[in-house]
Order: sequence, then C-alpha cells, then structure tokens
Amino acid sequence: MGHTATAQAGSGGLTATEHRLANGLRVVLSEDHLTPVAAVCLWYDVGSRHEVKGRTGLAHLFEHLMFQGSASVPGNGHFELVQGAGGSLNGTTSFERTNYFETMPTHQLELALWLEADRMGSLLAALDDESMENQRDVVKNERRQRYDNVPYGTAFERLTALAYPEGHPYHHTPIGSMADLDAASLEDARAFFRTYYAPNNAVLSVVGDIDPEKTLAWIEKYFGTIPSHDGKQPPRDGSLPDIIGEQLREEIVEEVPARALMAAYRLPHDGTRECDAADVALTILGGGESSLLHNRLVRRDQTAVAAGFGMLRLAGAPSLGWLDVKTSSGVEIPAIEAAVDEELARFAAEGPTAEEMERAQAQLEREWLDRLSTVAGRADELCRYAVLFGDPQLALTAVRRVLDVTAEEVQAVAAARLRPDNRAVLVYEPLAADGAQGEEGEENADSDENEGAEQ
Amino acid sequence: MSDTAAVTMTFHPRPEAGEPQPWAFPAPERATLSNGLTLLRCHRPGQQVVAVEINLTAPLDAEPEGLDGVATIMARALSEGTDKHTAEEFAAELERCGATLDAHADHPGLRVSLEVPASRLAKALGLLAEALRAPAFADAEVDRLVRNRLDEIPHELANPQRRAAKQLSKELFPASLRMSRPRQGTEETVARIDSAAVRAFYEAHVRPATATAVVVGDLTGIDLDAVLADTLGAWTGDTAEARPVPPVTADDTGRVVIVDRPGAVQTQLLIGRIGPDRHDRVWAAQVLGTYCLGGTLTSRLDKVLREEKGYTYGVRAFGQVLRSTADGKGASMLAISGSVDTPNTGPALEDLWKVLRTLAEGGLTDAERDVAVQNLVGVAPLKFETAASVAGTLADQVEQELPDDYQAQLYAQLAETGTVEATAAVVKAFPADRLVTILVGDAALIEEPVRALGIGEVTVVSN
Repeated sequence: MGHTATAQAGSGGLTATEHRLANGLRVVLSEDHLTPVAAVCLWYDVGSRHEVKGRTGLAHLFEHLMFQGSASVPGNGHFELVQGAGGSLNGTTSFERTNYFETMPTHQLELALWLEADRMGSLLAALDDESMENQRDVVKNERRQRYDNVPYGTAFERLTALAYPEGHPYHHTPIGSMADLDAASLEDARAFFRTYYAPNNAVLSVVGDIDPEKTLAWIEKYFGTIPSHDGKQPPRDGSLPDIIGEQLREEIVEEVPARALMAAYRLPHDGTRECDAADVALTILGGGESSLLHNRLVRRDQTAVAAGFGMLRLAGAPSLGWLDVKTSSGVEIPAIEAAVDEELARFAAEGPTAEEMERAQAQLEREWLDRLSTVAGRADELCRYAVLFGDPQLALTAVRRVLDVTAEEVQAVAAARLRPDNRAVLVYEPLAADGAQGEEGEENADSDENEGAEQ
Repeated sequence: MSDTAAVTMTFHPRPEAGEPQPWAFPAPERATLSNGLTLLRCHRPGQQVVAVEINLTAPLDAEPEGLDGVATIMARALSEGTDKHTAEEFAAELERCGATLDAHADHPGLRVSLEVPASRLAKALGLLAEALRAPAFADAEVDRLVRNRLDEIPHELANPQRRAAKQLSKELFPASLRMSRPRQGTEETVARIDSAAVRAFYEAHVRPATATAVVVGDLTGIDLDAVLADTLGAWTGDTAEARPVPPVTADDTGRVVIVDRPGAVQTQLLIGRIGPDRHDRVWAAQVLGTYCLGGTLTSRLDKVLREEKGYTYGVRAFGQVLRSTADGKGASMLAISGSVDTPNTGPALEDLWKVLRTLAEGGLTDAERDVAVQNLVGVAPLKFETAASVAGTLADQVEQELPDDYQAQLYAQLAETGTVEATAAVVKAFPADRLVTILVGDAALIEEPVRALGIGEVTVVSN
C-alpha cells in the first residue's frame, strides 16, 4: 500500500456492533452523529440465483410486491409514510440478494423499523391479485424501458447467458423473461415469501445518528415476535472451473448506432484476495481516462468512442470482468479485438508498473470513500458483508484489502484469467449501414432515481 | 386462502415521530481572491471526499454562429493537456490523486467538477488550476475530441429519452434562440470546430474575474488559503463586461410531434413548455405543486398510470432551470417525462390529460400538500449529506444569480406555502391546452389513438 489518502485507510474510524435476536435476525449497528439522519437497510438472502426454471424474475417481481402494503399498512403506505416523514426509500434485487432501504431524519427512525417489521411479518395479509397483476405490468414496463427499448439494452442479459451455462443459477438475470413474468402466479409469490422472507434469512443494519441501546430495543419490540422458519433450500451450486476453456461467442445484427465489442471474463469469487487483485487489474486496463485500453483505443488508435472494463463481484459464482467497446464510425471489430488482445497479453506478460498500481489503487480508494460517505452506503456495505461473507466488520476493512494487493498478484490474476479462452464475446453489428445503461444486474422497485422534483 | 391466520407476530401501533433535530442548509463563506475569482467555501465534517465546482461564465449563447458545440469541445479539452503535461500525463496525474474531473457546457455557462480525497486536495487543485490557466488545446487533441464527439451523436439520437429532448427544444424555441438547438452541437456544426475556434472561445470567455470556485468537504487541517494562493489564486486574466442575454421565449401551442421509431415496444413521452425560474416568487409553490403532480410514485400521475393501470415504470413531472438571471429574463423547462408500452400509449395519454384536468378542476387536497411539504423539506438533511451535493447546489445558485442562502430560504418558503397557492402554481405550470407533446415511438401504431385524443395537431417526423 503506502499511498493511502486517509490515515485510517478507509475505515474512517467507523465501528459496528453485531447482535442477534432469538428468531435469528442478525442486526448491525453503527453510530455516526455528524448529520441528523439514520439509514435502515435490510438484506434478505435471496436473489435471482434462487429462482427455478420457468419462474425467472420472481425475486424482483416479489420485491415490488413488498411495497404494496402489509397488515398494518394499506396500499402504497410504505412509500407514503416514509416520504411523508421526510425519508427516502427503495429496494433492489440482484443475483445474490434482495435489499430494502430507508434513509430517515433521525427522529423518524422508529417508523422505518416498524414498517420493515410489518412487511417481514405480515405481507401475505395484504397481498392480493390486484397488486400482483398491477406490479406484473409495471415490471414488464421496467424491462421494456431499461432493456428492450434501448440500444444494446439486452447485452448484459445475453452475455450472462453465455458466460454461465444453461442450468447454472446465474444463467439468467434478475429482470427475468417476459414469458416467466406472465407465468408467475399469486401462489408463486406467496410460496416465495413463506420460503425466503424470514428473520433468520435476513440482516438488518442501522447506521447514523442513533442511540444503539434504544435502537436495539425498538428492533426487539417490532421484529422480535416474527417467527423464524427454515423452509429455505440453499441455492444451486454456482461454482465453475476457473477457466471457461474456450472462447464463447455470439454476434447480433440489430438496430444499434455503432458496432460494439463486449466481453465477459470469468474471474475469482468475491471475498478472495484474487478478486481484489482482479479489480485492480481491470482498473488499470479499463477504468477511467488514463487506463491502458482508453489510451490505446480512444486516444492513440482512435478506433473507439469509449472503451473500458467494469467488474461484477459475485460471491456465489465466479465474478465477471466486463469489457465494453463502442467503435468509431467505419471501424471493424477485428481491429478492436486485436488491439484489446494485444494490450491484455502485454499486461499479463509485463505486469503493472508502480505508477499504474498507485493510480488504480487511488481510484478504488476514492470509490470506497464515496460509498462510505453516506449512512445509506455504509448500511448497505455492512449488510453485504454480513449476508455474503458472514462478517459485517469486513466492510470497514475492505478498502485496506484492495490497497494491500501487490503488483505480482495483479499480474498473476491477469495472466490466469484475462485470456481469450476465458471469455464470452458479444459482437453487435448495426442493421443498416451506418446508450443508456443503468447499474447492471440490479433492479429497482421505483424509477425515482432518474429525475427528482428539482428544487 | 387467507394467510392472516398464519401471522403470529405481535402488532404495535404505528410509532410517533421523536423530537426533530435542528438542521440547516450549510451557509458558505464568500470571498474574492486577488485575481477577481469568487470563492465559496464550506466545511463539512466527516466528508473525506472534497468537492470543488468551478463556474465559468461562458454561456452557449456566446458560441459563434455555426459553431454550436465549441463550448463543449473546449470544456473537454481543458483536461487534455496543459503547458506542463501532455493529455495522457494529465489524466494520469489526476487519477494518481484518486480524483475525478468532469467538465460540461450548458446554457448558463461551463461547469468543471472535481472530487478528490481531502489529503490530496492541494495537488488536485494544482492540476485544476493548470487546466484553467494554461490549457494546451493542441491541434491533435482537439481534432480527436471533435471526431469522438461526432461518433457520440448517433448514440444519443438512438436513445429515446435524448431524442425526445432534442425534439422538444426544437419545437418550443424559435430558431433564433440557441436553446432551440442541441447543447453539444450537431454533426454539421461540430465538424467545423478546430483548435483555433476552441482557443478563441476560451480567450473570449474564460478568466478568473468572471469565475467562481466552490470548495466543500472536511477541510480539517487544510490551509485552504495557502493552497488556493498557489493554485487558483495564481491564475491571471483581465476583466470583462457581463454579456447581455436574450429573453427566453417559447411557442407552447398545444400540439403533438411523433418521432417515428417503427418496432419500438414503448413510447417515450416528453410533454413540456417553459415557465418561471427561481427568481419568480411562485417558484416554491410551483415546486410543491409539481411534486404533488408527479414527484414520486405516490403522486397523482403515477398513482393512476403506474400503480392503478401499470402502463409505465414511472412518469415524473419536474421543473428544471434553463437559464436564470437576476433581471428576470430566465426560464425553466416544465415537463412530464416517462415511457409507456406501445399498445397503451393512447389510453395512457388520455389518463394523463384526465389527471391534469381533474387537478385544474378540483385542486390539490390539504393532505397532499402536507405530505409533499414534509417530504420536500424533511429530506434536506439526507439530500445534502455529501460534499458533492452541497457544492452542486451552491454552484447552481451562483450560476443562477441567487443569494447564497437561497436554498435555506426556499425550505422556509415551502413550509409556508398553502394548498391554494400550490394548486394555482401547478395548474398554471401545466395547462392541459398549452403543452407540447413529443412521442418517440411506432407511429403506425400510436398515431391514430393519439389523434383521437384531441390534445392538439399531430405531426409525424422521421427518426
């Protein structure tokens, strides 16, 4: 490491305490009194990887139903009450988990806890055909808006399907297929709730301007009597060989504004040192305006409008390294592919320079500081490490681990993984001679993030 | 079938709110550096990533005839090499600080945004000052940016939301106004831009005397005055007269333009006109009323279009300042935006107009007004938790010629705005017969149902 931006190297002096209710609900609390706000975050250990064939999209559709009322909360009350209290809220569904979160002014914290407990314990008292049919239509329109009606919109879904074989729990994405969304029944939703929405399958974190003793007492009061149950089957095994062993490839001819080369590389599971090393490697290769691919394709060859790498960290299956290159007009895919392969091969052979390491780690450190700069960001990270790795404290040291990665480890993971025989490739050819993307792999209950009421 | 019997938890009455904690929108300290640069600083304990916003008074209106996009290319070129660093070196040095630097040009002027961990603020400010003081504008780099920009345009036109925005500007504003044309230029105008044009624009409009820097974050242990003296304070330049801007006018005759996109599974809708900006006394009431109409999932529009009918993932109403000046010549865009599935385009628009008419006839309820005020005012401490959000708002205020305590005053005004005022403002902002509707969708399927609604003349243009 040696070049950290903060004395505490990312933990920023933050601490968290852990508790467990008798019904199995795990609780993480973290105090911070700088601003009079408190974040509540609830992670349920269920995501699209738990879905079965013919019912893709059910976890996400169900997440929408969680906002349709519960025993003590009529209709859209979850939204109305939180927003009316000066809070903000949403829920998202990914491969590995479903999360619900509220950020409240401190004096309204108890309300958020009461609301989350009410739906954890009594959603089925309110769930009916009307909300099921309505939210099915809403989710189908979400799918159209975010994927089907935008250029390259289905790239993520297609690459995921290529990178994880048929039958693998990560073969399909959280949004699901139109046919499966149509097929989901009210009984499916009820069974889903009974199976996965239990206190012993969740982690609750509360972060911010809180009195821990009082907060814990509220949690005990509202959540403590929700019965635990053990109907859940573990998800299907997501492990795969380290290397795909061949280059998988799909070419699509579609109405898109330019040719594109996209690829998904199979990478180590999240939670390993190799995964952190891969993150640094992808940052050097394709993260930002001083990255190797940007310099090569956008600045020097001038064959691409944009070129970069992203990373999808996954704990229950290999992570994905995500290449996205949109070509400049008239440029053919083989030219791009040759340049990408050359850069990756050279990087694997020579490894990163000290300066490249410094730049990448400084970028990753700032990203972590950003994530931890809000109480909601901290609450989410605490839940993430508690659910996926069994230890919320790991959230407070995550940046240290990324800074601890060495150049040798970065080179090793690049040499082992960033190879043509370890990727799924997706090529777009425009239909005639001649982008909007959200966070991949995550679906929201509400579209609110696009435009707020500007003041 | 009921699961109620299976519920065994103990229910408690809904808890009452505790005692609210005081919170106020942060008041910045204002100063002027010896070179004329205006400085706003704001210490936010715990915010380890410092946000710096620079306002440059270089409005799009000042772009020379036929060179739309030169402000955008100049903004991008600022970070593509200086008198001390090549383009690649500059990007590398910035990232070595863990910094991000973005620059973009909009109607009121140019904005440069820097975010960097506090411990590396001095170095990053040095780079930022270099970019402002001595940009290289090398021929090769500008040419590359121009080609890159030309390659971006087809991507923007393919995006239904951006395509709709482009069409609405064209429809609303007279061709003589810069606002009628794309902010970042067209293929024709961008192709004409070269390094000489970029430099000329820079020399005419970029100088410390007409620039403002906003610095927000945890400044503990940072001697900001000393850091600034070596960086932004060392930037020199002459003074300039304020440039007069033409008043914003628009034709909001109710009409519909369909941008034809055969095969589209959804119709992107953007329904808009212009209205008063933040200098108008009605602004707070307009914010409140607009929120009640379409600020969130439980507002009037989504209550019907999403939560009752399922036609959409979400439709929002909003007011967005286009340009705001103390002389009252500014304006904001008032609009409703969202997408609906193709077969339900007609029914969705019919419902949307019904919502507008019902609102005009019956007005808002006190309960709606109360919830909206509680949300808009109550979320302030959440909304301004990060340094970047505070810096962004302070810089907006400067750009819009508003006092530094404007946001704080706005919260006080919102709390005092009644149901009647909010109703009047939103009804005036969204009159059912004075709205320009842009639909990006499959004309063959949506044209007839839309015509039947009688919301104005319908024309179809090609994509």
